[in-house]
Amino acid sequence: MGRFILRRMLFVVPSLLGLLVLTFVMLRVLPNDPSAALAGENATPAQIAAVRTAYGFDQPIWKQFAVYLKQVVHADLGTSIVTGRPVVADIALRLPATIELTFCALLFASAMGIPIGTLAAVWHNSVFDHAMRIVTVGGLAIAAFWFAIILQLVFSMSLDWLPLRGRISVGMPEPAPVTRLLLVDSLLAGRLGVFRDALLHLVMPALTLSLGGLASIARFTRAGVLDTLQKDFVGYAEAAGYRRSRIIWVYVLRNSVVAATTQIGLLFGALISSAVAVESIFDWPGIGSYAVKAILTSDYKAILAVTLVVGVIYAIVNIVVDIVHALLDPRVAESL
Amino acid sequence: MLILIKFLRDVPAVLGAVIVLSVAALAVVAPLVASPEAVFDGNLLERLQPPSSVHLFGTDNLGRDICARVMVGSRGALLVALSVVVLAVAIGVPAGLYAGYTTSWGSELVMRITDVFLAVPQLILALAIAQLIGKGLESAMVALGLTYWPFFCRTVYAETRRVRSTLFVDALEGIGASRSRILMVHVLPNVASPVIVRATIGMGFTILTTAVLGFLGIGATPPMPDWGLAIAESREYLPDSWWAVTFPGLAILATVLGFNLLGDGLRDLVDPRLRRSR
Amino acid sequence: MQRRLFLVGSLAAATASHMGGFRMARAQGRPGELVWADNLPGGLDPHVIFDVPMQFYMLNIYDQLYKYEGNPPELKPWLASGHTVSPDGRTWTFNLRDAKFHDGSPVTAEDVVYSFRRMLATKRGPSAAFLPVLPPEKVKAVDAKTVQFELDYAYQPFLSAMPLVCIMNPRLLKANEKDGDWGQPWLASNAAGSGPYMLDAASYKPAEALDMKRYESHFMGWTHNPRPIDIVRCRDIQETTTRVNALLRGDIDATDSYLPTDQVERVLRAKNVRVIKDETMRVMVIRMNNKKPPFDNVNFRRAMSHAFNYRGFISGVLKDYAVRNAGPIPQNLWGAPKDLKPYEYNLDLAREELAQAKAQGAPIDREIEIHIQQQLAQTTQAAQVLQQDLRKLNVNLKIAPNLWPNLVSSTAKPETTPDMWVHWVSTYFVDPENWIGQMYDSQFHGTWKASSWYKNAKVDQLLREARSSSDQAKRQALYEEASRIVVADAADIWIYNTVQIRGISARVEGYKFSPVGSGAEFRYMSLAS
Repeated sequence: MGRFILRRMLFVVPSLLGLLVLTFVMLRVLPNDPSAALAGENATPAQIAAVRTAYGFDQPIWKQFAVYLKQVVHADLGTSIVTGRPVVADIALRLPATIELTFCALLFASAMGIPIGTLAAVWHNSVFDHAMRIVTVGGLAIAAFWFAIILQLVFSMSLDWLPLRGRISVGMPEPAPVTRLLLVDSLLAGRLGVFRDALLHLVMPALTLSLGGLASIARFTRAGVLDTLQKDFVGYAEAAGYRRSRIIWVYVLRNSVVAATTQIGLLFGALISSAVAVESIFDWPGIGSYAVKAILTSDYKAILAVTLVVGVIYAIVNIVVDIVHALLDPRVAESL
Repeated sequence: MLILIKFLRDVPAVLGAVIVLSVAALAVVAPLVASPEAVFDGNLLERLQPPSSVHLFGTDNLGRDICARVMVGSRGALLVALSVVVLAVAIGVPAGLYAGYTTSWGSELVMRITDVFLAVPQLILALAIAQLIGKGLESAMVALGLTYWPFFCRTVYAETRRVRSTLFVDALEGIGASRSRILMVHVLPNVASPVIVRATIGMGFTILTTAVLGFLGIGATPPMPDWGLAIAESREYLPDSWWAVTFPGLAILATVLGFNLLGDGLRDLVDPRLRRSR
Repeated sequence: MQRRLFLVGSLAAATASHMGGFRMARAQGRPGELVWADNLPGGLDPHVIFDVPMQFYMLNIYDQLYKYEGNPPELKPWLASGHTVSPDGRTWTFNLRDAKFHDGSPVTAEDVVYSFRRMLATKRGPSAAFLPVLPPEKVKAVDAKTVQFELDYAYQPFLSAMPLVCIMNPRLLKANEKDGDWGQPWLASNAAGSGPYMLDAASYKPAEALDMKRYESHFMGWTHNPRPIDIVRCRDIQETTTRVNALLRGDIDATDSYLPTDQVERVLRAKNVRVIKDETMRVMVIRMNNKKPPFDNVNFRRAMSHAFNYRGFISGVLKDYAVRNAGPIPQNLWGAPKDLKPYEYNLDLAREELAQAKAQGAPIDREIEIHIQQQLAQTTQAAQVLQQDLRKLNVNLKIAPNLWPNLVSSTAKPETTPDMWVHWVSTYFVDPENWIGQMYDSQFHGTWKASSWYKNAKVDQLLREARSSSDQAKRQALYEEASRIVVADAADIWIYNTVQIRGISARVEGYKFSPVGSGAEFRYMSLAS
C-alpha cells in the first residue's frame, strides 16, 4: 500500500511540471508584455524598455522559465506586478476562504444530494425520481450569477435574513488567524458571535456553489443505491425481518455511498474553479475573485500562481480519491 | 425497437430530447422569424423597455428586441457546443485509442499529457488561448475543446483497455488481423456509446461554460446575440430591468437541461450497470 | 413595480416578515465609523502606482506640497506654505510648514528631497511627469524648511504636477529597505505618510479591505470640522448590483463615483440615501489611429465623427448624466474654446465625407477594429452605438474586447495600435497639458495618451510654446488655437465630459467634490447621528 501511495505521488511531479510549462508558455507568448502598463502613465518608450529589462521580460522565454522554476522550488511564487506584494502572501490570505466556501458547498450538496439520490433509487422511475432528476440537473444548468443575485434580492434585500456580501460583517474584529478558516478560528478563540456571523455570510454563496455539485452527487448515490439493492444481503436482511427503512438508510446507504464519496472528492476540484462567478457577486475574498482580478490586470505571476495552486489541489484530491479507491478495492493498487 | 420503448418510458430523457429538438428547430427557423435589423439595430430611446406586445421579452440596454436575440442566439450556442465537442472528440478519441491499445512509452506519455490538461483550470487555459489568438468565440471554442478532450481520452482509454484484454482480440491478433482493422471494427463500436453519452452531456456543459467565459469577457464579442454575453452585459441593470437577464438565462437553463437529461437517459440505456437495475 | 413582479415571480415563498429577529447588524448606526466602498488601489505605494483609486488613498494618508481643492479645482499650498520661481522658469523654491509624520517626527526639507528622489528612482507611477525635466540630483534642501528644484528647461505644468508626489517618512522606509529597493515591497502594504488619516496596516487585505484611523495631530488641524470621522473602513465591491444593494441596505455609506445611470433611479427611490452628481474633468474619447489607412484620411475621420450618435448616447444611454465635449480639453477647464462647435451626428454629412475619402483612394471597405475595455460596460455601449450607424454606411466595424494593460502596451507602436479604441482621460493634474498637451504633441508618441499618432507641426509648436510659457493669458490662447486645429483635423472622436455619480448615505455630511480624488476626502466629512 505504501508503495502504491509513493508511486502515485511520484506521478504527480511530472504532471505539475507539465502544467507549469503549459501555462507559463501560454501566458508569456503574448503579443504584448506587461512592461508598458507597469511603467505607468505617460511613460516614454525608453522608460518602458527600462522596466522590461528590470523585470527580465527581454530574456529568452526558456530563461525566464528557468528563473521562475527556481523560485517555485523555493516556494516563492514571485511578486505580483500589480500589487507589489509577494503572490504567496496574497494567496495565503485568500485560499482558506475558497476552501471554506467549497467545503461548505459540498456539505450542502451532499446533505441534499444523498437523501435525494437514495429516495430516487428506492422509488426509481417514479414521479419523484423524474422530478428530482430535472430539479438537480436544473440546478447544474442555472447560471450561477443569476441565481446568486436572486438570492441576494430575496434573502438579503427583501427579507433581511442574511448578509448581502463578504465573509464577515464590516468592522467585526476577526479572531486570531490559526487556520484562516473563519469558522474554525472563531471556535478556537471561543467567539460564538463571530462564528454565527461567518456562518450567516456563508449560507448564500455556499448554496449557490452547491448547485453545481448537487446533480452528480444525487446521480451517483442513486446509481450506487440501485446497485446495492440488487445485492443478496438486502434480500437476506428483508427475509430476516429488518425494517425496510433501516435496511435502506443504514445498510444499503453505507455500502453505496462509496461511489458518491469519490465523486464528492472529484467535485472539490471542479467547484474551486467554478467559484469564480460566485465569489465575484458575493465579494467572497477567495482565489476565484483573485484570479479574475489577476486576469483583468494581466498580472501573470498571480495567474501562474493560481493555476499552480489549483493544480496542486486537483492533484492532492486525486491522490486521496485513488487511495480511498485502493483501500476499498485492492485490485486498483495492483494495476498501477 | 426494445431500446426505443425503454427510452420512451424514461420521462426526463424524453423531455430532454424534446427540448433539444425544439432548440435545434428554433435555430433553423430563427433567421426567418427574426430579421437582422431586429437583432442588431436598436433604438437607444427605447432601451430597457419591459416585455410588451411589441417586444415580447422587452428590450436590452441598447434598445434591441430581446426575443429576437434570444432566438437567434440558439444558433451560436449550438454551433459553439457542437464545434467544441467535435474538436474534443477528434483529439480525445484517437489519443485514447492509441494509448489504450498500445503499451509503449508513447501510451504512457499520452496519458500523462491528459493528466496535465485535466489539472489546468479550464478558465485559465481559455484565458491564455484568448491571449494567444485574440479574444472571441473562436478562442473560447479552441480553449474549451482543448480542455474537454482529456475526458474523451480517459473514457476511450479505459474502454479500449477493457476490450484489449479480452480473449477475442488476442485471437484476432493471433490469426493476423491488422491492428487498424481490430481498432475500427472491434474496438471503436465498443467505445462509441460512452463517447456519445459524454458528447451529449458535453454539449450542455459547453454552453454553460461558454456563458461563464462570456461573463468574464473572454467568449463571444458584441454585438453577437450570445446568451452568456447578454447576461453579462445586462446584469448591471438588475433588478429593475429583470427581463434583460432573465430570458437569456432561461434559454441557457432550458438548453443545458435538455442536453443533460438526454445524455443521462442515453447513459442509462448504454451503461450495463444501470441497465441491469431497470 | 417591475421589481416586485420579478421578486414574486422568482420566489413566491417570501412571506415571512415575522422573522425580524434575524435582522443583521448594520454599518450605518455605528457612530463615528464610515464605510466607503470605492475601488482600492492595486498596491499602496503612491510612488509606484498612480491611477484613479490611488488618488483617494494618497489624499487621505499622505500630504503633498501642493493640493487641489474644489470644483473647478484650485491649486493650494499644502505642506508648502508657498513657492517662488526664477524668471527663467527653471528654479522653483518651496517653503515648508510645520508638519509631523504619523510617527511624530517632523517633516523636513530633507524628507521632501528623499521623497522626490524615491519617486524618480521607481521610474513608475507619477514619475513620467517629472523624469524628462527633473534629474534627481537637482532636488536640494536649502535649509531645514526650504526645498529647491532646478529643471532642465522651463516647464509650466511643474506646479500642477506637485500634488502627484506624496511626501514620505524616510526613517520608516530606510528601516524597511533591502538592497536599495527604497522600501518598495514594504510600502506596498504599509504607509509612511503624514496625512489626515493613518493606515491600519493590519486591516489591509489587497483588493478587499483597508481601514483608516484619524490622525489627530495632522498639521492642518481639525478646527474646520467639529465632528470628524474617527474610523473609515474602505471595502472593495466588485459587482455594481451588489454595491448598490449594499448601499440600499445600509451596509456601506458610499458607492464608487461611477454609478451606472440605470442604477441612479433605484438609489433615488430609496430612503436614507442620496445621489451626488458633479461635473468632473474626464473626457470620453474614441481614439483613431491616424497612421493606419483609411484613418490617415481626414475626410474618413470626419465621416466617423459625424457617424456617432452623441445625443442618443448621452441622453438615451447616460440619461444626460454627461456633458457633450467638443474637443480634447474638458469644456469646464480653461483652454477649451467656448465657441468650439462639436461634430454633429449626421449620417448624410458622413456619407459625403466618406464619398470624398473614397474618391481620394482611402480603403474604406476594409474591416475596422475597435478595442473596448471589457470590464467597462460603457466602452462596449459606445462601440455598439457607433457600430449600428456604421452598418448603415456600409462600414464594417468589429468590436474586440481588450484589457487596459494590453491596450497600453499595444499603443507603443503605430502598427500594433488598434484602429480605434475607447477610453477616458481623467484628471491626473489640472492643466490642459494633461489632455491636449500629452494627447497631440507628437513627442509623446508611443504613450497611450498619444495613441492617435496625430502629427501636425503647427500643433506641436503651439503646445510646446504653451508648456514653457508662464503667461496664463498667452497659454490659454495657445491651447485654444491648438484645440481648433485638432478638432478641424478630426484627430479623434471626443464624446463627453463626465458627470460623476456617487450614491451616498444621507448621514454623511460635508462631502466636498473635486475632480482630483473624486470627493473622497474624509477630513471634511462627518456623520449625522
